[in-house]
Amino acid sequence: MASDGARKQFWKRSNSKVPGSIQHVYGAQHPPFDPLLHGTLLKATPKVPTTPVKAKRVSTFQEFESNTSDAWDAGEDDDELLAMAAESLNTAVVMETANRVLRNHSQRQGCHKPPGALGPEQKPKPSVEPPSVPSGDLRLVKSVSESRASCPAGSASDAGPLQRSQSLPHSATVALGGVPESSTLSSSALSEREASRLDKFKQLLAGPNTDLEELRKLSWSGIPKPVRAITWKLLSGYLPANVDRRPATLQRKQKEYFAFIDHYYDSRTDEVHQDTYRQIHIDIPRMSPEALILQPKVTEIFERILFIWAIRHPASGYVQGINDLVTPFFVVFICEYIDDEDVDTADVSCVPADALRNVEADTYWCMSRLLDGIQDNYTFAQPGIQMKVKILEELVSRIDGQVHRHLDQHEVRYLQFAFRWMNNLLMREVPLRCTIRLWDTYQSEPEGFAHFHLYVCAAFLVRWRKEILEERDFQELLLFLQNLPTAHWGDGDVSLLLAEAYRLKFVFADAPSHYKK
Amino acid sequence: MGWGDAEGMLWTRGLLWERVWNAVGNFLFKFLVIGSAGTGKSCLLHQFIENKFKQDSNHTIGVEFGSRVVNVGGKTVKLQIWDTAGQERFRRETYNSLAAWLTDARTLASPNIVVILCGNKKDLDLEREVTFLEASRFAQENELMFLETSALTGENVEEAFLKCARTILNKIDSGELDPERMGSGIQYGDASLRQLRQPRSAQAVAPQPCGC
Repeated sequence: MASDGARKQFWKRSNSKVPGSIQHVYGAQHPPFDPLLHGTLLKATPKVPTTPVKAKRVSTFQEFESNTSDAWDAGEDDDELLAMAAESLNTAVVMETANRVLRNHSQRQGCHKPPGALGPEQKPKPSVEPPSVPSGDLRLVKSVSESRASCPAGSASDAGPLQRSQSLPHSATVALGGVPESSTLSSSALSEREASRLDKFKQLLAGPNTDLEELRKLSWSGIPKPVRAITWKLLSGYLPANVDRRPATLQRKQKEYFAFIDHYYDSRTDEVHQDTYRQIHIDIPRMSPEALILQPKVTEIFERILFIWAIRHPASGYVQGINDLVTPFFVVFICEYIDDEDVDTADVSCVPADALRNVEADTYWCMSRLLDGIQDNYTFAQPGIQMKVKILEELVSRIDGQVHRHLDQHEVRYLQFAFRWMNNLLMREVPLRCTIRLWDTYQSEPEGFAHFHLYVCAAFLVRWRKEILEERDFQELLLFLQNLPTAHWGDGDVSLLLAEAYRLKFVFADAPSHYKK
Repeated sequence: MGWGDAEGMLWTRGLLWERVWNAVGNFLFKFLVIGSAGTGKSCLLHQFIENKFKQDSNHTIGVEFGSRVVNVGGKTVKLQIWDTAGQERFRRETYNSLAAWLTDARTLASPNIVVILCGNKKDLDLEREVTFLEASRFAQENELMFLETSALTGENVEEAFLKCARTILNKIDSGELDPERMGSGIQYGDASLRQLRQPRSAQAVAPQPCGC
């Protein structure tokens, strides 16, 4: 079914009527696209459909790139942005360019990943973000793109009926590239851009008071690895904006956490807590990335964090899935002490004991803050998840009636696949590196993990509309939906997903009627 | 993973739901694999479907789905297998014993479900906590089929699933189960018929104490 990745269509058509059209390009977050260069590439690849771009269609990505990044970049002296601003493109040019970018992107992905090569991508993919087409007033444009997305290497049809291990994202190597470093086209422009982004982060973080609003805006599009740990701690509210107060705060919170350990951890063998501890104890070795988690020191850290959290939150206690939420924090924080790009093989035994303790405490607190926002996902009967799956269903019925009806006709229930999407925040559906990139944005969005996540899930489902519509059997549909071929996904894929989610939020949020039939 | 956990390897149970696949002699049976966390439910399923042991098994969240078509007694049977999360939290807080699991299966599915008890992790014989005799007795008292299995070596895994399928087919042949009867938990898998009738559950079968 997905054997020909090149024909995949990423962006779904939206029939929603949105007034206005793009008239001017004020800027772009990304380097100007060279139509000649890419035109050549296109010709060289026979598979590229030659369907002319329809005049009224504009890549949804463009709007979202502009909505998501341009707005925040406004007023910033981004070189590329200014360069683009100097130009004024008409809609047709804009659309065409964007479509080329996306097409080109899928080709490049195709090149990087020969079919069947399920191996993890060691290197971050080149940035795939197409030029932004800011409409100064954020008006929406009729959105549609025929562009195809990344082509998953392993098509579901190639795989056996039980594909869990194959598509299980966690089996992919975790390469924490942070913001992608381009190795191909316009690499110098990109790395320059990344360097400039990193500088902006550093300036913001240097204080004396970090402007959290600015930090969120900047982080939305991804946080460079060197500043990710500190940025996450700030965005989660764990660290104060005031630079001078940070060391004392960290020290106090770390002390507090270890006081919990001293106080409570011995109770794990008590009758009231032994079931909780036992469950945690058997779940941790069944987590990913295995090579990291199975290191005894790491296993112990996870056990302590989860046990303490569970007994301090008796309304939910420990529920399978919460364990996964520890991993991104731990990985991001431990990366400050490990040079290894590949977290899978990172050896924590070389991390000093003090540093490890700090990582543990920081992970605990940041995870706690995350869970505070989604605790009803894990209380009895998991009402938060039930509700979110319901909202997702209603959302999808609005944004893509065809997909929704198709699932319904084949008796696929959203709970059958989306329960896990909510319970584990998509962590079981995409590789860890993608989760980390996703969380850059979740932590930049108000209620990112609780609310924006729904739009991401909707975008994620519709992302596979072509494959879904091709399946005409309950069983095949469910197997596909439970084993989505994302093992090779990188930052670029997540960026596209987030942009589409942002668009959906823009269109569907604050429109309660969308949720009601 | 988690394999050496003596406590966890005790009881894996599953049950089979069944559905008539279509009117021309093919069947669709639904299996539900239930049991405590870490007993090897997902590994049993993986072994049955992929014919190999799943090394890097993540604990299941919600339900996961697998399917395999088998030939039983000359009939083509599609097995649709639902693998569930083991944490009791995901189901009901009161499940602590095998008897409770079983009651639940028979209550929620159908009293006629076919159940096989699988004692998994048979390969970990040194850590065995439940003797074969004990488990057999339990199975007998509760009218269950029983097998000791090993998802690691594959021993008896296929047999467990096929045994369920065979039993159901026999019951259909003997008239003990009537796929046509409303409330039998069996229904035609044909899409047009399916729309006319609400999905029902069916015969369960299932599985397993452990061999451990």
